[in-house]
Amino acid sequence: MAYIRKRNRRIFLIFLLPAMLVLFLTTIYPMIYAGYLSFRSYDLAKLFVPRVFVGWSNYAEVIGSSEFIHSLITTFKLMAMTLSVQLVLGVGIALIVTQKLPGMPLARTLLMIPMMISPVIVGLVWLFLYFPELGYLNYFLSFLGIESIPWITSTNWALWAIAIADIWQWTPFVMMGTAAALQSLSPEPYEAAMIDGNSRWDVFTRVTLPQLKPVLVSLMFLRAIDAFKIYDIIFVLTKGGPGDSTEVLSMFIYRQSFTFWRMGVGAAASFVSLVIIVVLITLFFKSLQREQHA
Amino acid sequence: MTRPGLQQKILIYLLLAIVLIVFLTPIYLIASSSVKPSPIMFQRPPAFFFTPTLEHYQDLFGMRPFGKFILNSLIVALGSTAFSLTIGSLAAYAISRIRHKRMNDVAFWILSMRMFPPIAVVVPYYIIFKATGLLDTPFALIIVYSTANIPLTVWLMKGFFDEVPTALEEAAAVDGYGLLATFWRVTLPLAAPGLAVSAVFCFIFSWNEFLFALMLTGSNAQTATVAVMSFWSSDAVQWGRIMAGSFIILIPGVIFVLTCQRWLVRGLTMGSVK
Repeated sequence: MAYIRKRNRRIFLIFLLPAMLVLFLTTIYPMIYAGYLSFRSYDLAKLFVPRVFVGWSNYAEVIGSSEFIHSLITTFKLMAMTLSVQLVLGVGIALIVTQKLPGMPLARTLLMIPMMISPVIVGLVWLFLYFPELGYLNYFLSFLGIESIPWITSTNWALWAIAIADIWQWTPFVMMGTAAALQSLSPEPYEAAMIDGNSRWDVFTRVTLPQLKPVLVSLMFLRAIDAFKIYDIIFVLTKGGPGDSTEVLSMFIYRQSFTFWRMGVGAAASFVSLVIIVVLITLFFKSLQREQHA
Repeated sequence: MTRPGLQQKILIYLLLAIVLIVFLTPIYLIASSSVKPSPIMFQRPPAFFFTPTLEHYQDLFGMRPFGKFILNSLIVALGSTAFSLTIGSLAAYAISRIRHKRMNDVAFWILSMRMFPPIAVVVPYYIIFKATGLLDTPFALIIVYSTANIPLTVWLMKGFFDEVPTALEEAAAVDGYGLLATFWRVTLPLAAPGLAVSAVFCFIFSWNEFLFALMLTGSNAQTATVAVMSFWSSDAVQWGRIMAGSFIILIPGVIFVLTCQRWLVRGLTMGSVK
């Protein structure tokens, strides 16, 4: 026992400590620093030099501002839009591409491509499609009898324009995870259900979905954590506009810090966002551990 | 599951065709627009057959130093990959081998490090790098990207180390190998596929990143993703150059998907899908 403990300590020191130190210095320390900055005021002449201690006033300003609350609501609205569509479409496509038919493995592979494309490029190609007057999307839609839609120039449509780009990039993620889970399901419950004379829809809702549930929950958590951080696509497509219709939390922080140069307010909002993401991550890990113990 | 009948087969392939068209059209548009002459860029109906031109690529590399930005992207991506693989695989080995009840917490702590919103730490990074004179250097981005790449490497490599039998390491210890020598000569070679997969993930993440590159670099260390965005301005959008640059940037990711898609599930779902 003593030998093992000594060996463990050596493995810990040589192998694990460097990573923990690096991550502490590069992640935890900047976060603590962000916390420190959020209690300071700033001078427009020396932007990046924190000045006097101002207590909770930056936080009071953030939480009391209707723009911040609006950005928070927009973030969760966008999250709800993208996650629900990605879940339904992803599971639906997974059911198609897991059929034992020729060409399906290739289709699965091709459908994964969007995930590995830089979000800036995703934003740019959708900008190309949405572009007022010129973009091809409205032209394609006209064949379905849909009238021209002012995608990125109207406050009603801009959030959907962003959601569609995100849905395009990340539905494959739900598809991929669901397809992997579907292929590892055991066939027995299906045979039993089919013998009992259930319809396909009944089999899907009563046999398949309950078995997929843990995987789908995990996939949705990972998507939620990502959706909370969404930035690049919005930066390319709308920069938060028109008006403030697509100003999500990360855009709010960006504009406060780098457009209005209110560093303290930006830092305070950053800290609020860190608290929210910690809650999301903790819930995710709790659900993962519950699944492992089950 | 039951075998689908002919009618169902036709329906399935019809649906699949629609899905493929929707998901692949944007990629086709990038590729075709990058070699499409500017006058017919937005022609209706879109021109499927045209004489391809390399003018956008010539513009890209001729008038602006796009080659330099690609080189910057390569330096940053390779640097961060090398650093993350070294630190990350060592840590993964420890997590895989130490039997202790707190190890699970350590693993989750490391993993959670890659989930934080980048925008929340960009101001502290800016101030720290400005104070240390590292702003607008590849070094700053290498450090920042490693905060996401190390956790990913740890997570992937742990899975590969778990599959290496400890009996081999014990045999090496009997032969007089030390801890590091055993790791280097016995365990790591057996987990080589894991290193390759982790390397590709780290590379693609760094290569594709935009937010930090935008905030922490200027004319000196600017990467390709930021450079492509600079062809966009509200008065004159240079679509040809944007599409040519975009096509170059998306090549590594596409190659990765086509060659090692089976590792994507493991790398992207953080172990929640087996």
